[in-house]
Amino acid sequence: MLLRLSVPLLAAVSAFADDLPRQTAEILAANCIACHGSAMKMGGLDLRTREAMLKGGTRGPVLVPGDHTKSALYLHAAHDAQPAMPPGKKLQDWQLTVLRRWIGTGAPLDREIGGATDAKSAMAAMEERPITEQERQFWSFQPVKRVAPPAVKNKAWVRTPVDAFLLASMEAKGLKPSPEASRRALIRRAYLDLWGLPVWPNEIEEFVNDKRPDAWERVVDRLLESKHYGERWGRHWLDLVRYADSGGFEYDRDIRNAWRFRDWVIDALHKDMPYDRFVRLQLAGDEIAPEDPGAQTATGFYRLGLEHNVKSELTRVEELDDLIQITGNSFLGVTIGCARCHNHKFDPIPQKDYYRLQAVFYNTKDADFPLVDEATLARHKEATKAFEKRLEPQKKAIEELEKPYRDLLTSRERDKLPPYMKDALAVPVEKRTEGQKLIAIQVEKTRNFSADDVINAMTPEDRRKRDELLDQIKEIEKQRPEPPAAAAAVGEGGRVPEPSYFLHRGSTDSKGSVMKPGVLSVLVREEPAFPEPPASAKSSYRRKGYAEWLTAPSNPLFARVMVNRIWQHHFGEGIVRTPSNFGKTGERPTHPELLDWLASEFVARGWSLKAMHRLMLTSSAYRQASGDIAANNAVDAENRLVWRMPRQRIEGEIIRDQILAVAGRLDSAAGGPGVHPFIDPSLYQGSSGRTWPGKKDSDASTWRRSVYVHSKRTIPLPMLEVFDKPDAITHCARRNRSTIAPQALILMNNSFVRLQAGEFARRLEREAGRDLSKQVDLAFSLAYGRAPSPAERTAAHRFLEGKPEALSDFCQALFNSNEFVYTP
Amino acid sequence: MLWKAGGGIAGLALTDLLAAESPLAPKKPHFAGKAKAVISIFCYGGVSQMDSFDPKPELYRRRGEAMTGKGEVVVSQGNPGGFMPSPWEFRKHGQCGMDVSALFPNVAQLVDDIGFIRSMYAVSNDHAPALFQMNTGSILPGNPSMGSWATYGLGTQNQSLPAYIVFTDPRGGPIGGAPNWGNGYMPAAYQGTQFRSTGDPIVDLKPASDMTPERQRRWLDLLAKLNTEHAQKNPEDTELSARIATYELAFRMQTEALEAAALDKESAATRKLYGLEDKTTEYFGRQCLLARRLVERGVRFVQLYSGGGNFQTSWDAHWDIEYNHGLHAKETDAPIAGLLRDLKSRGLLDSTLVLWHGEFGRMPISQRMSGRDHNPHAFTVWMAGGGVKGGVAVGQSDEFGYKVAENGKSINDLHATMLHLLGFNHEKLTYFHNGRHMRLTDVSGNVIKDLVA
Repeated sequence: MLLRLSVPLLAAVSAFADDLPRQTAEILAANCIACHGSAMKMGGLDLRTREAMLKGGTRGPVLVPGDHTKSALYLHAAHDAQPAMPPGKKLQDWQLTVLRRWIGTGAPLDREIGGATDAKSAMAAMEERPITEQERQFWSFQPVKRVAPPAVKNKAWVRTPVDAFLLASMEAKGLKPSPEASRRALIRRAYLDLWGLPVWPNEIEEFVNDKRPDAWERVVDRLLESKHYGERWGRHWLDLVRYADSGGFEYDRDIRNAWRFRDWVIDALHKDMPYDRFVRLQLAGDEIAPEDPGAQTATGFYRLGLEHNVKSELTRVEELDDLIQITGNSFLGVTIGCARCHNHKFDPIPQKDYYRLQAVFYNTKDADFPLVDEATLARHKEATKAFEKRLEPQKKAIEELEKPYRDLLTSRERDKLPPYMKDALAVPVEKRTEGQKLIAIQVEKTRNFSADDVINAMTPEDRRKRDELLDQIKEIEKQRPEPPAAAAAVGEGGRVPEPSYFLHRGSTDSKGSVMKPGVLSVLVREEPAFPEPPASAKSSYRRKGYAEWLTAPSNPLFARVMVNRIWQHHFGEGIVRTPSNFGKTGERPTHPELLDWLASEFVARGWSLKAMHRLMLTSSAYRQASGDIAANNAVDAENRLVWRMPRQRIEGEIIRDQILAVAGRLDSAAGGPGVHPFIDPSLYQGSSGRTWPGKKDSDASTWRRSVYVHSKRTIPLPMLEVFDKPDAITHCARRNRSTIAPQALILMNNSFVRLQAGEFARRLEREAGRDLSKQVDLAFSLAYGRAPSPAERTAAHRFLEGKPEALSDFCQALFNSNEFVYTP
Repeated sequence: MLWKAGGGIAGLALTDLLAAESPLAPKKPHFAGKAKAVISIFCYGGVSQMDSFDPKPELYRRRGEAMTGKGEVVVSQGNPGGFMPSPWEFRKHGQCGMDVSALFPNVAQLVDDIGFIRSMYAVSNDHAPALFQMNTGSILPGNPSMGSWATYGLGTQNQSLPAYIVFTDPRGGPIGGAPNWGNGYMPAAYQGTQFRSTGDPIVDLKPASDMTPERQRRWLDLLAKLNTEHAQKNPEDTELSARIATYELAFRMQTEALEAAALDKESAATRKLYGLEDKTTEYFGRQCLLARRLVERGVRFVQLYSGGGNFQTSWDAHWDIEYNHGLHAKETDAPIAGLLRDLKSRGLLDSTLVLWHGEFGRMPISQRMSGRDHNPHAFTVWMAGGGVKGGVAVGQSDEFGYKVAENGKSINDLHATMLHLLGFNHEKLTYFHNGRHMRLTDVSGNVIKDLVA
């Protein structure tokens, strides 16, 4: 290697051997110290002094004087070891030669490399990432611009401004919209869309025969008024905020009262709470309306993350990261989570924005909010104390009963110790070596026998006594006072927040400046002021300040992102087809003017979701049929111009709900703790106490809407999971729509589906009598909302004739059919 | 078959659809990889390296002494003890002269086919995050698992069986549950299907007892008629026809999965090879034999869990390691050796990558007098078949087996190597999600070239 060096360079290197320490110091200062110096010690490594290099970082020493082949400092710099250093570049050959020779000469270093002030200012500079004017011009960061709906040729088709925007782009491409869907298809579509439930024959007939000009508007209004609307659309929201009833990880403990948040969401949508307030309360309900149980329940938003077993700074940072991601994705449609370790690679989102948002959330902590009055709380406290007292005698008696056996087992265990451990114990305390001290502590503090071992060692008489005592405890336990109702909410430690920091490379070992709360830089010219909390405040009001900026009409993303979500659920895909990514790597809107028009309309109509639903559903676009039009398919197979309504497989929840409803067995009770339908135990064999108290398929108390099924992160309900229910761990804005064989297996063979097919058959017999024709007619009208075609009728009769037991199979075939699981 | 009764849709068209439309249709990797299938043997709870494949004579010499000079000694529970030597003796085996302890006498005979990594390290010393990291690359749940990536990249050879199959231990599931074989943000097609080694292999596989094949045939014909009528309105919608096709698949799966699970078809010699005749080895032997039968039938990824539930029913030897590891090694040693031998004799080992690993290793010091605590800083995993170089050991742990001493290998490195053997550049096998091209190896990982033949 050395031989290949040019002669002058070789001369330079060798001639100034005395100068190696200075050259080394310069090389390290310019390339390494920013991350391995006073400001930051990535990997625990400090390269400022020889001693620090010899000590090394978490991976051990980096310098072996005299041997560069053993010095990690050199190996990483030479890219002979991973990770290659410095990241993203390589030192020049001469610089490596200097390092090698310096190490070869024993690595003398008489100075500290890099001044502390330099590093600090370098670090502070690294935190800044100005936004350019050009970056502000990106479409989604622009203010919402309302333009008048365009003129179109086919004026008759335009029922709402939505239609004008869509039709103009169709006409520009020479496409014609689809014909209007039949009233039967239309009403079934609206029921599935707004309620997630089938429409009944009488409701269809009523609509089909309604000659009033606003017949359709009446249907839409009626659907929007129902709590079923809240249940259906609440589920969409729960997907975004990764709602679950348990904390995941090892214990996957249930989050008590999480369901109250789910019910709050459903109720808020049902009552058409303005969307800005809906979001403000989730972010800062405790600060905005501390006395309002609803507002407190809304902050359950913060309680839905994963529950880490180990509580540490690291896991806290993970929790905050989860919140930052969810917040960025759900409310702003930006992937701010990408800016945790570096400035966003594609979007103008400085890493600083990430940590300013972290500062907003940093002080939150779990705080259950009692939903009962103080007197009740006090009574409960007293009652619990008294209750615990009642258990004491039994507990004490058991302890006394077990003690001799425990002592016996302990001494037996000690007899089994290996000689070196026994020797350690034999040594007098003051003479023990460090190792012997550890062993002694371990032996004294450990019991390695189980409760079963103790029981097995007991005499039958003592065992009987113990059982009796346990029975008594069990009996008393039945009277344990119920915990008073409470919301899983959040609070903060006080009005003065704890400091949080910029973390270089996302590492808690590399803290930078203290962060003030802030917003998305690219959206503002001037940082909005965060409110000063009143003297009586129990929190910093940072979340309130953030929520107010977020939900202000001047924030272009807030309204755009939400109207796009509403559009997506009605029309199958969003106007922006990456609904939570309005950044550079996301898709551009297919109809930018329409998106902005909708966003401004959303604000103008007081953030009313129902107004937006009405606007979209009463359009001609929504009333289009879903059939193929070959000519249109050829131009726009992806239906980006919305020349038809899509057929889409409905979600697993809605398949299950429809099955229950059509079978006549849906319990439409709303709200309350989640239910536990049957799951085959082999699918969740427990560990660490995780379990699923599943009821039998035949237990009618589980025949509730799927939004009320307990959502346990490590034990998903297979029927929902197989149809792409998200895992409730990360934000989900658009569900995958898989078509796979296990879905068929479940609908074919699962005992719950079979059972409900039987219920459906009995319903037919009950309501249509024994007449086969009537049974078939009723079955079709309940399952599909229409009469069978002649061919279908023939097929059904052929299948059923002379085989009364086949009726249930027939019903199950309807459950399995494409028409049942696709929107019309 | 179903499509013959389907009337409106020609049989050929449907078979084509199966191939083209299925998210699991076979796909070509980036380059020709030797491995076509993967069997991951997950010794859940964490296997001790210094009691199995990483000899540490220093522990005998310094028995009972405190561990110093290694930084803070972090234990997950209880009080740290002094150094505890292995109760099992190490001997050299094979032509390569690999050190293996008496814990794995059968696997020891096959070391010339096995490549060891003695310098694995992970992030967390907590089971759930460590399991997730081993399975998905991230300590947080919610990401696609190794099997999801393999099936996403390669599809599967046999559409009538699940592409990605998981066997949990009859004593319980691993901590963390379903997200360990979850598809994360990928479509449900890439999630692991749980297989049972006794009884019906898959939940909801078998029709109800009163549903005879003839009755089901009639039923499927009726369903096909209903679907055909519906599809006529949308002849160009391939998703509808693809869904029709899944019923044919499901119908075939009913018989094929049962057939694949029919261990009584195996010869007495084979059953013996896997330890099916011995009570201790029977359950894991069944899983290993099933794994071979599934791989033979084109299944892409099989994961077997040894150990379930908590503590002594898994490899989590917080106390009495002699009992704990003694039991679990006895249960698995002969079946694993049987699997390797059987794969080899059938010519399947070259195309089947076998991974053996826990979620972390264990400590060189004692815990609760006779156990070992978790240790993510250094542990041993091994790979065999599928283009792996046998008879080598990569990397070194320190003199106690506590931390990596040399050539440390991350979980990302392990995953990169697995993907490489399957024919993928791990930096280019990506799935676009939430604004990022996600990878199994996140933003790092290097193929462990020393292990590639």
